[in-house]
Amino acid sequence: MSEAGKTFNIMFAGVGGQGLMLLSAILGKAAVDSGLKVMTGEQHGLSQRQGSIYVHFRIGDPISPLIPYGKADMMIAMEASEALRYVEYLKEDGVVIMSNRIMPSVTETKNVALDKEKKTNYLTVDEIVKKLEQVTSRIVLLDSLDLAIQAGNARTENSVLIGATVACEDFPIPAEEVRKALLALVPPKTINANSKAFDLGKDAGTTCLES
Amino acid sequence: MTIEDVKRTDSGPALMLANEAVVRGALESDAKIVAFYPGSPTSEILDTFGEVLEHFGDYKMHIAANEKVALETVAGASMSGMRSFTSMKSVGMNVASDSMFSIGYTGLNAGCVCLIADDPYAHSSQSEQDGRYFGEAAYVPMIEPSTAQEALDMTKWAFEVSEKHKTLVIMRTTTRVNHQRGIVNLGKLDRSPFKKNKWADVKGQYFTVGSVARALKARLLEKAEAIKEDFEKTDFNSVVPGSGSVGILTAGVCFLHVKEAMRNLGINLPVFKLGTIFPLPEKKLSEFINALSTLIVVEELTPYLETRIAALAQRMNLNLNIVGKKSRHFSEMLEYNVPIVEKVLAEVTDKKISLDYDAILKKAEKLKEILPERPPIFCPGCPHRGTLWALRQALQRLRIRDKIVFNNDIGCYSMAFLPPNQFSDSMLAMGASLGLSAGMEMALEDKVIAMVGDSTLYHAALPGIVNLIHHNSNVTLFVLDNSVTAMTGQQFNPNSPFNAGGTPARKINMEKMFEALGADKIVIIDPYETRDCINTIQEALEFEGFSVIISRRECALYGDREKKKHGEKIIPSENVKETCRGIYACVKEFYCPAITIDETDAKMIIQQDLCDGCLECRQVCPVDAPQHMEVAK
Repeated sequence: MSEAGKTFNIMFAGVGGQGLMLLSAILGKAAVDSGLKVMTGEQHGLSQRQGSIYVHFRIGDPISPLIPYGKADMMIAMEASEALRYVEYLKEDGVVIMSNRIMPSVTETKNVALDKEKKTNYLTVDEIVKKLEQVTSRIVLLDSLDLAIQAGNARTENSVLIGATVACEDFPIPAEEVRKALLALVPPKTINANSKAFDLGKDAGTTCLES
Repeated sequence: MTIEDVKRTDSGPALMLANEAVVRGALESDAKIVAFYPGSPTSEILDTFGEVLEHFGDYKMHIAANEKVALETVAGASMSGMRSFTSMKSVGMNVASDSMFSIGYTGLNAGCVCLIADDPYAHSSQSEQDGRYFGEAAYVPMIEPSTAQEALDMTKWAFEVSEKHKTLVIMRTTTRVNHQRGIVNLGKLDRSPFKKNKWADVKGQYFTVGSVARALKARLLEKAEAIKEDFEKTDFNSVVPGSGSVGILTAGVCFLHVKEAMRNLGINLPVFKLGTIFPLPEKKLSEFINALSTLIVVEELTPYLETRIAALAQRMNLNLNIVGKKSRHFSEMLEYNVPIVEKVLAEVTDKKISLDYDAILKKAEKLKEILPERPPIFCPGCPHRGTLWALRQALQRLRIRDKIVFNNDIGCYSMAFLPPNQFSDSMLAMGASLGLSAGMEMALEDKVIAMVGDSTLYHAALPGIVNLIHHNSNVTLFVLDNSVTAMTGQQFNPNSPFNAGGTPARKINMEKMFEALGADKIVIIDPYETRDCINTIQEALEFEGFSVIISRRECALYGDREKKKHGEKIIPSENVKETCRGIYACVKEFYCPAITIDETDAKMIIQQDLCDGCLECRQVCPVDAPQHMEVAK
């Protein structure tokens, strides 16, 4: 990764309030502690919740804070439809690590509720994955909430996603550095659950990418 | 974490947001007085200074009522011999500029730096204003960093320039610089204790009018020349060597896009990386363009540099082909990125683009056709949702929905222009709803309604309110009092009993103020008691004269944070399906993101982890179906 011009690009996507900034801070710390150069382009903007948000996260030798279209090696989506919203950044055959969680927007809810024939349905994860498959086959779809509950704390979904990143063979940060950074930045009371969630994510990621 | 890095006293590398690097730079420069009004993309500067205020205890800070007051505060500190710093968003300088132009004339004493952040793409602003003209127009030096590292280094340099030339220095950024995180090499932090000065020891004259102004103007021109000489020598204006007779002139974040685009194309054109927007280092620029046949100017927004470099080339009698906005290669719209720059560089140098970006965008557009929009929306528990719902009901009952004009203002409530409210016949600038109302009230038969938040009220609405009351205007003003400046991150304002860092301050008594000003009718509503608000709003709308409706309930994000701090639980609500009759008032008329539909029985279901438990939806429901969960979140 210290090689000139070699850059690993990650596009983070999610919905305001999901903790995207913490996720980016964890990988940022892990990268810096591994001696890697990091640069991000973040969206702070307005503080309202439930909006679409992203972080351009670049490791190695980035120059611009923004990933060019089609050059994200990895996308980490905390909400499934947000993975599709930023699909123009995803590289052909890039890795997508996504939660199966969908948070419908109010306009979609209105369309579903007001269809008297009940033929309008919410967008499903399957429909989203089918679209993403036209860009890549390397999709790690995680039931992040279920895995987080298995880990003992429903609020460790982000650690599940983080765990899955290190299952990807070209991911440049050593797994143990990612775990160390994660455990350093989560509330001390939740370290055990987060560590377990990380492992569950890693295992699920490995299974997905090998199959 | 970065707050720890802002605090540390030793030098060394740290991963920092550029906004945090700016704070670090000001602290390393021993800034003693800072003042701000929040505004994206600069709000993290205010927040960071607030967060480390108690830790350092050796500087003073105000969250000012507006940007003009903030700039005057730091100018006053500089006149008093203390290094000082402020930052504001692009349009903030419009407010501050009245004083800024005079400060240019009078000059200052101790180092005084003002950061202004433009927002190409208008991510969170009402316009894509280009603030670069302020420097030249006021003869105030203006510099521009590209990276988080430069944000730190240039802040420190700005203090030196300011102090040497006894002038305000403006550091101009754009969103993509402010919100860029990168490795920053920190300098040592060596703070001095805070100690007040005596005016006799530091005093100067800061007075400008008539003959004084004319004398100051002559000195100002000399000062600008002297600064220009310094800017010819600084390394912040540098040439990155390359080959060939095609060169590039760029600054800010575009410099980074240019470098990466050249790497993608495998080309190495000479690049002039400009760090000083005003005065321009014309000698250095002349030497650079003298050797070129073609100059590509890469800058966002207006052709500021392009116009000036074209004039310079003409004065030099150069036959220089300029590729930029005038040649239609680049747009004056939106922000740039690597693909936009790469395409132009590829075209000019006849190289193959590294990736067919247009094809990727086209394919993505097709894939995204199934994707529902996710428009910005009020948070769960937001009091504005209830206020606006009640206003809609009141207008319906009075049958005047089509007989009103609604002047909106700047804040979270600006979103009242979106469904389901679709209020907003106008929204221009902080406090502008009042002035517009004055004109409309004279010109229209309709009921005139203005709406401001508490922070906007004290920022720029007061003169407009005084004007309306003075002229006996028939206007209804909504003041959405949610305790904080919500949209930019819930900062305190004159409506809060706190200043920066949670230090005590005096809360202005809003209703007493309106009373003293002579408002004809003042009523207070609680938007969580949504149904009860309808009558009160109706009466205020029917009232002839200047009526004020204060809708009082704290911002849900702020309120929840305070609750958690005090160990209080947030109890979410559930929709009792046995009661629910599928009327969907909650869906059609309310637009809360916690409200979704259970597709198995088509009944409304509340997303527990999103719900704030405000129960405004119960107020909206004709059969009272939503109720609090017994279990705590």
